[in-house]
Amino acid sequence: MNPVNAVAEIDNLRVIVGDRAIVDGVNLRVLPGRITALVGASGSGKTTTGLALLGEYPAGARVSGDVRVPDGLVGYVPQQPGAVLNPARRVGALLRDIARTQVRHLPRRDRRAAVRARVLRALALAQLPEATAMLRRFPHQLSGGQQQRVVLAQALLLGAKVVVADEPTTGQDALTKRGIVDQLAAVSREGIGVVLLSHDLDVVRALADEVLVLRDGHVVESGPAERLWLAPRHPWTAELLASGAPTARIEPASEGAEVLRVGRLTARHGRTAVLRLPELSLHAGQCLAVVGRSGSGKTTLARCLAGLHRNHDGVIHLDGTPLPRSLRDRTRRQLAAVQYVFQDAGASFDEHRPVLHQVARTAVRLRGMTETDALAEARSTLLGLGLADDLVHRRPGHLSGGELQRAALARALLARPRVLICDEITSGLDTVTRRAILDTLAGRVRERGDLSLVLITHDLTTAALATHIAVLEAGALVEEAPSRQLLTAPRHPLGIRPTEVPATD
Amino acid sequence: MSGPRTWLARRLLLGVAQTAAVVLLVFALTEALPGDAAVALAGDQPDPERIAAIREAMDLDRPAHERLAAWAAGLAHGDFGTSLASGRPVSTYITDGFGPTLLLAALTVVLLVPVGVGLGVLTARHEGGPVDRLVSSVTLGVYAVPEFALGVLLVTVFALRLGWLPPTAVGYGTDLLAHPAALVLPVLVLLSRPVCSLARLVRAGMIDALDSPYAAHARRYGIPGFRIRYGHALPNALAPATQQLARTVDWLLCGVIVVEALYVIPGLGTVLMNAVAERDVPVVQGLAVVFGVATVVLNLGADLVSRRLAPRSEVAA
Repeated sequence: MNPVNAVAEIDNLRVIVGDRAIVDGVNLRVLPGRITALVGASGSGKTTTGLALLGEYPAGARVSGDVRVPDGLVGYVPQQPGAVLNPARRVGALLRDIARTQVRHLPRRDRRAAVRARVLRALALAQLPEATAMLRRFPHQLSGGQQQRVVLAQALLLGAKVVVADEPTTGQDALTKRGIVDQLAAVSREGIGVVLLSHDLDVVRALADEVLVLRDGHVVESGPAERLWLAPRHPWTAELLASGAPTARIEPASEGAEVLRVGRLTARHGRTAVLRLPELSLHAGQCLAVVGRSGSGKTTLARCLAGLHRNHDGVIHLDGTPLPRSLRDRTRRQLAAVQYVFQDAGASFDEHRPVLHQVARTAVRLRGMTETDALAEARSTLLGLGLADDLVHRRPGHLSGGELQRAALARALLARPRVLICDEITSGLDTVTRRAILDTLAGRVRERGDLSLVLITHDLTTAALATHIAVLEAGALVEEAPSRQLLTAPRHPLGIRPTEVPATD
Repeated sequence: MSGPRTWLARRLLLGVAQTAAVVLLVFALTEALPGDAAVALAGDQPDPERIAAIREAMDLDRPAHERLAAWAAGLAHGDFGTSLASGRPVSTYITDGFGPTLLLAALTVVLLVPVGVGLGVLTARHEGGPVDRLVSSVTLGVYAVPEFALGVLLVTVFALRLGWLPPTAVGYGTDLLAHPAALVLPVLVLLSRPVCSLARLVRAGMIDALDSPYAAHARRYGIPGFRIRYGHALPNALAPATQQLARTVDWLLCGVIVVEALYVIPGLGTVLMNAVAERDVPVVQGLAVVFGVATVVLNLGADLVSRRLAPRSEVAA
């Protein structure tokens, strides 16, 4: 039917681990110069399908079906490009080794120059400036965006006809995201077939020619991107697309008295000032979103509030009484009042004890409850957040990222906090899970009425749900206003395209 | 945080300070010993007048800080003072003993590095297989045997029973290179435990490195296995081994007394033992300074190499 030969093809792929099919009957055709996107929530089988193109399967998997890559050359850009760069070798080492395998036919004395020419050409194709200087650097001396380009340059140097990009934009700020989108578009213009694995629907929409929607290892729908977006045929596709749209705003019935007041504050790391703030206040039931690019001081602000960062000169008042600067000097009541949920929920749990017991511990430690009462309350809170009883008796390793994030939320809520600080808690999650967590938060605020939220995020879509937004840039507060006002008439350019801001009514 | 130059400058400065501390400490410790050289030298006739005469002749009656200043100034010129027992300069003791010790250490290291690293890489490559299990069991077993026991065992088997090798280096003087057969057993004993610890460290590091995403990535792109093992994985596995190697070289250079005594090798260990027996304080002091400086220099070198192998972690200085 199609006159163009596919550069890679998957036919009825089935990957079974244990007694679960993580990929079940997937068909895929990758055409040169086209971008094929696999979308779906985490655990839907995207990455397994993508790695199958590289001939890699999970340990102990039973595989059936057909994977054909005529040229056999497939490039891979993983979610964390830093992980595939050797920390002990300069960036140029692997690039030169790849090029060396291609110049064996040349006479020995010409090889060196040929290798160098190939490496530089690949770096130019990957749009890396100052290529010669870049080759001399170690991976840790590169930014995240540069690391990604280096990994892409490796794939281009290999002469790959197919490049698999796994979640290339996850956790990146808006500007970096833009660069990655342009980069992948340029790669496909070179005639390379790109397989994009992503749950970031904005990126998929901007790039993909062809979209496959995966759920539990099945392709539930596939087709050209335009058609899929305008007229999704499968209800799951519709739900997935809807998850990109705004959720319920996080808003209380009525705003209460002032809970937290931060006086003028300068926070330092060593002697360098990293954050300067004028006065800032938070009322009961308010949700304050703190937005800014990475390195703008968002997390430092959150850590000052929680007592995790002591090196600052401000005074933080809780209900009119000053809070001690350090966690260690705060009373149990004060500790319970300000709770923190970390970005990496997995790392905030002890891997050897069941989740339920760790969640219940908060109530025992901070509210003096008995073990039995605490367990009962933990169980009901977890159930309220959608975590079933059999799940929470497991150890953290057996829960997914989204489930752990809910458990971390439950753990913080069990302290009955006045102020809940959420540090990028949705940034590693797929859109469906993200929406569910934000809905949960909104529900909690409505229920409790007096719970105040501080939402640290780089994602304006998430920030738009808050009642107030504070914008940080390079350690300074550049704007703070009610979110409707800030989103419709910002006084400061946010550096984020207006299309990324959802309609707020 | 800081550039390599400032790091190096700070590290060198720290090395100088450590050396100064070693010199001070050695002086303070010998000063704290009960009695002094004069008492020891007076020997069988502890006549107070004689002791006082010796003290005056040796300047031992001057205040401690003056003697320290004179000694430290001498050290700066390479003058370690003179032996109390023989009146010869201490530096001749050190240079005489240094030859055999250096020879043994150099031979040991030249064999240690390829054998230790090679065994480590080999076992890591066949992790869990019969080769790994065999080599790991043997290295663990050998590591558990102390030097003197292994030394005695080797002498019994190879020298006394089989008669293949001379049991000791008695009669060969300091020119051991002319009699290589006498070196075989001591070098084997010196090698035994360091090879085991190095191989086990390299094995652990290599297993992690070969299992890492960057090694998988290199394999994915068709880099030959040999190149992945030695070019990409090994540099990551070597950082902890470097520190261990520095400690081993230090141990070797400071004269392994057990081995030198067992095989009667006139190295630094033997010199030290004799000096202690004769209460020859200047010789002991001189050796202590040499050993201290060797430790400082070797650790400085190891830090430099580690920094290159693990450029992300700033080595504290």
